[in-house]
Amino acid sequence: MVNADEDKSAYSIQTVDLTKVFAKKKHRGVLGFLRRNVEKEKSKSEGGEAVTIALDRVNLKVQSGELFGLLGPNGAGKTTLVKCLATILIPDGGTAVVNGYDVLKETTMVRASIGLVVGGERTLYWKLTARDNLMYFASLYKMPRKEAKNRVNELLEMMDLLDRADERLEDYSTGMRQKIAIARALLHNPPILLLDEPTLGLDPTFSRQIRNQIRGLCRDEGKTILLATHYMYEADEMCDRIAIINNGQIAVVDSSNRLKAMVKERELVEVACVNPPVGIEAELKAMCKDVDIVTLIQGDEAKSTPSRIKIIGEGAEEHIGTVIDALRRKKVQITSLNVGMPTLEDVFIKLTGGAKLTEGGEAETERHEAQ
Amino acid sequence: MNLLNPIRLFFSSAVFSFKAQFGWLNPPMWFTMKVVMPLSQMAFFVFVGQFLITTGNAHPDIIAYMAIGNSMMMLSWNTVFSVINITSNDKWDGTLPLMLATPAHRLPVFVGRAMVHVLDGMLSVAISFAYALFLFGVNFGNTNTLALIVAVFLTSFTMAGFGLLIGGLSFYYRDPMVFANIFTFILLIFSGINFPVQALPQPLQFISYIFPLTYGVDAGRKAIAGQTLFDIAPLLGQMLIVGFISIILGYVFFISFEHVARKTGRIEAV
Amino acid sequence: MPQPLRVIYSAFRLAMLHWIVDPQWVIPNVIAPFVFTFVALTLFKEASGPFGLYAVLGGGMMGMWGNTLYGSGFAISFEKWQGTLEEVEAAPSNLLHVIAGRSVSNALFGLTNMVAILLIASAVFRVPLGVANPILFGVSMVLTLLSVSALGLIFASAFVLTRSAQVFTNGLEFPIYVVSGSMFPIALLPFWTQPASYILGPTWGIDAIRLAAGQENASMAFWLDKVGKENAFLAFWLDLGVMLLITLAYLVIAAVLFKMVETKSRRDGSLVEA
Repeated sequence: MVNADEDKSAYSIQTVDLTKVFAKKKHRGVLGFLRRNVEKEKSKSEGGEAVTIALDRVNLKVQSGELFGLLGPNGAGKTTLVKCLATILIPDGGTAVVNGYDVLKETTMVRASIGLVVGGERTLYWKLTARDNLMYFASLYKMPRKEAKNRVNELLEMMDLLDRADERLEDYSTGMRQKIAIARALLHNPPILLLDEPTLGLDPTFSRQIRNQIRGLCRDEGKTILLATHYMYEADEMCDRIAIINNGQIAVVDSSNRLKAMVKERELVEVACVNPPVGIEAELKAMCKDVDIVTLIQGDEAKSTPSRIKIIGEGAEEHIGTVIDALRRKKVQITSLNVGMPTLEDVFIKLTGGAKLTEGGEAETERHEAQ
Repeated sequence: MNLLNPIRLFFSSAVFSFKAQFGWLNPPMWFTMKVVMPLSQMAFFVFVGQFLITTGNAHPDIIAYMAIGNSMMMLSWNTVFSVINITSNDKWDGTLPLMLATPAHRLPVFVGRAMVHVLDGMLSVAISFAYALFLFGVNFGNTNTLALIVAVFLTSFTMAGFGLLIGGLSFYYRDPMVFANIFTFILLIFSGINFPVQALPQPLQFISYIFPLTYGVDAGRKAIAGQTLFDIAPLLGQMLIVGFISIILGYVFFISFEHVARKTGRIEAV
Repeated sequence: MPQPLRVIYSAFRLAMLHWIVDPQWVIPNVIAPFVFTFVALTLFKEASGPFGLYAVLGGGMMGMWGNTLYGSGFAISFEKWQGTLEEVEAAPSNLLHVIAGRSVSNALFGLTNMVAILLIASAVFRVPLGVANPILFGVSMVLTLLSVSALGLIFASAFVLTRSAQVFTNGLEFPIYVVSGSMFPIALLPFWTQPASYILGPTWGIDAIRLAAGQENASMAFWLDKVGKENAFLAFWLDLGVMLLITLAYLVIAAVLFKMVETKSRRDGSLVEA
């Protein structure tokens, strides 16, 4: 159990054994109400309950003024964790304290302490102006009207949108709308920001602007920021510390450099190639039996990102020849070879025993590196 | 010319249309639309009629008049309302550009979608007739069954055509639900459901004859009163003409919309 | 201004702004009452007696009810569709106050609907709009509006529990038109439906409105039978009293139900699902 008073000055966010479980839902068709009973009996007879463990005893401590990253693939539990901290989901076990307030017992105080930004297209009233949106939310944050007016103007200016404040959000670009979403989270000047994929779906220019803004809020205003993302470079570039999460569990928490040091230089070989044949991963695994991890990350021809074969573990370097020979025999075009210089992706793969981040994550990495 | 292809398109559109409505028409919703709504709409007007009778302002025959009229009107929920929704769902769901990019002939696709609702509409009328008989004491003893079945079928068919017309028109408008609601409810005023067309102000009466339902309700009442198929044939003939004109006009609207959309490049924004 | 009232006002204002920029969504909610009133007026055209005003008041009531059912019933769903529900929930203000603001705006649309029906009916059907006591008429209209809003709050909560809220809106709209006695006395209904009529606040509200309009003969006569027709004034206040009690009950039920629904939704994640 967390002692809120004791830890208040040290940690802005603290969770102890935080658990969240969802019942598995099947989409029911016209006759689904008949099917549902059959499935229920089946799962009972197999000794299991049809549930998804979204968070599995998560223990996290985020220090005051820290920019803390939560890195993991889609479905890892990042959003669930953010929503539990934001009090819009009730955890099924454990405790969470935000700004010294328990998320279950002092919900209103937690809500007054946080600003929430969720990535995605629709989080605002599109038919209304930016100003109307912000003034409305200011009233929900219990801001006196005059103070709200001034603050809204201040934030619109910060976001460089003051001259478009009275235009409808449906006429804004996605990036501009996301700026308004961030402005909304800052209305009441909360000490803590919870950002769930804030750059999702944004082009590189806006993404960079948003990231700069986030960094500024932490560095200049001392805000504590929890940033959930599946973009590795984003976590790598911005965060003081990163927690890698997968399948509802925190695998490791440390700074980016120390995480990358977990994969020693000689323990990583990466071969980028074009259109590797089906079955190549299994073949290479058989050839490199003594290495911990051999994995293929498929590229995307449409986005011009190559596929990558990664060999991670002790003795990886000794298998360079084996891999290249195997690819040449199958007439696969090799575009680059990297030995050493592990990324967070390599750390993630090593820690999760070969699980992969999403295609989007890798594609973003390539585009980001190309800038 | 391959005739099998249009036939195949017709039937696959019909099946798709039937299945697609279950995207929103789950069992409780089906129950509501098939069982609850017909009863409550009929009950509403029957009790208004009863009110008029008890205050000496109407003849008791008004109950049967209203019950039969509202029964026939029930098919408009399946035909007009559903067809408008299915027709414009493509636009709403964003699949319209994909459909327009196919080489499929538009007419069987367009018409196929509507026709499956014809049978569904007939089922609604049958359920409503059961209410009229068992709950409101309407006398079906003199009914010419053949004439009634044909009248109901043709009314349902022509009203599906009318639904296509409004569905085609609603492509040009952002929210098809508004059209669906207006054109379903407006039938209550103009189609002789609760009072004869002649009770409307003279300048408005011509509007009634745009709707196939007006002819269908009249034919239905006559069939229940014992008139034969031969007796009601002229009414049915007029209704078929109106119905086919509706289908053709609806198709024309649809094709012209496609042309406009391809020219301006703004399908969803229209 | 106390914070709850401020939130209610802000939500009300937001709903009005939405209506101004996109008024067409109101149309499906107002079509049925307009059409039903038109039909009733045509049926009552040749009837002797003040049926005209009877029909328009009933139609207006139906309009208020229709807007509440669709508008309030979908108040929470509206936030979901907009994508703003999570952010509104994460704010320190009570979501119930937000929904209450929406509910009031919907009932106001309904009231506007009623006024529009009154004016159009008067113009087209030459229905005389004279009411016996305009002040009491106004009072009863406003209080009925609030009663309908309170009922809307219950629906707002209930509709969160189901993916098939549409079932309830379609399923409840017409039955309520029937049992509330909007267009005919509830005495004509089968006896077993009458309890359903009496637990509805709007049933008493419309009776009060009719008494204020001078239509004692059209009253459901629950009180008139007991106090006598010469005491219509007393019957009016008794109607309002019963309606207010029922409305209070609605508010309590709404608050309890909302809390239950909100907690359940936060627990199983359905509040934040698409």
